[in-house]
Amino acid sequence: MARITAGVASSHVPLLGVAVDQGKDRDDYFGPIFVGYDWTREWEKQQKPDVVILVYNDHASAFDANIIPTFAIGCGESYKSADEGWGPRPVPDVEGHADLAWHIAQSLILDDFDMTIINEMDVDHGLTVPLSMMFGQSEKWPVKVVPLAVNVVTYPVPSGNRCWALGEAIARAVASFPEDLNVQIWGTGGMSHQLQGPRAGLLNREWDNKFLDMLESDDDAARYIPHIEYLRETGSEGIEMVMWLVMRGALGRRVKTLHRHYHIPCSNTAIGHIVLEPAE
Amino acid sequence: MKQDIHEYLAELEDIPGTRIYTASRARKGYWINQFAMSLMKDDNRKRFKADERVYLDAWKLSEEAKQALLARDYNRLLDLGGNVYFLSKLFSTDGLSFAEAVSTMTDMTFPEYRDMMLKGGRSPVGNRSIKGGY
Repeated sequence: MARITAGVASSHVPLLGVAVDQGKDRDDYFGPIFVGYDWTREWEKQQKPDVVILVYNDHASAFDANIIPTFAIGCGESYKSADEGWGPRPVPDVEGHADLAWHIAQSLILDDFDMTIINEMDVDHGLTVPLSMMFGQSEKWPVKVVPLAVNVVTYPVPSGNRCWALGEAIARAVASFPEDLNVQIWGTGGMSHQLQGPRAGLLNREWDNKFLDMLESDDDAARYIPHIEYLRETGSEGIEMVMWLVMRGALGRRVKTLHRHYHIPCSNTAIGHIVLEPAE
Repeated sequence: MKQDIHEYLAELEDIPGTRIYTASRARKGYWINQFAMSLMKDDNRKRFKADERVYLDAWKLSEEAKQALLARDYNRLLDLGGNVYFLSKLFSTDGLSFAEAVSTMTDMTFPEYRDMMLKGGRSPVGNRSIKGGY
């Protein structure tokens, strides 16, 4: 049987991808960010997950203003790196796991989550930066990926509660997949940041760390944080943290924290990273 | 538990210096954002750079939107329904980093903005609510 063995969350700032691609990841600016991922890179080498369900948001790359799916799952065989305006990132194609993805898609729909199914798309920094953070530079990514895209751009975006419940439903879907697979679920984006308007540059170390504490606890209070609180406290793009709740919801009530890292700033953004495993 | 949509949308307008990308902004800015998406193709970037005005004239944009795009007036573009993730294709076409482009929407120069970020970013204190002033 397939099983979710761990949850990982990480910011996915595009500049981190640039740092990896240009070999700047150990300089004075980026070093303190990347050092917080060294533990995870070693751990991933030992864990050798077969598949990562990678919860991310598309930044107007695969989806334009025309079609806006709230929750979309990639069921394709492979995905190319998107051209976000400066040419595609020089990273390997992302290999999908169509059998598991279709199984999850069907299970979720029967479980009352009306998913959008995607067969072909390019994936942007939201998906490829977390892969670079956890696996470094590579000729071929060491895992297959099930992309799960959440709309966090056009309002209303899904509630934290709905994201958490989606995570719970994903865990049920994975558990009913007959093949023996080691599956991780990653939530990406965040933490506090605002990329627009005169209030741009807002960061909130205290709130971000309170959020990390909530993810570590047995309590599920984080699922009830309203959108307006993310927006007021963590900036307009801090809303991406609802995607971390999909990951947390999939891990069950109790978790064990394996690793945690926080750094300010990377470009406009507060970097947060946490590794959790189910403890029940 | 379910919040009233009018109350929800009203709250989104109560954040200082922020334009949340609501459905009404998305409708208003549809063609600004679709124009920006077109810059994901290298051929289009070349055509745009060769003659920005001619390129813009091929889109269903108001004169006001075209002027704001030509002037790279990003706060104006947010008011006209532009969204930063779409507009970032224009930042990239211009060869601007995300942080530099973002800094143009604040009252700071890029070095001042960068310095603020290195010192921990903009504080949420006093920046959370227009009505509440907290």
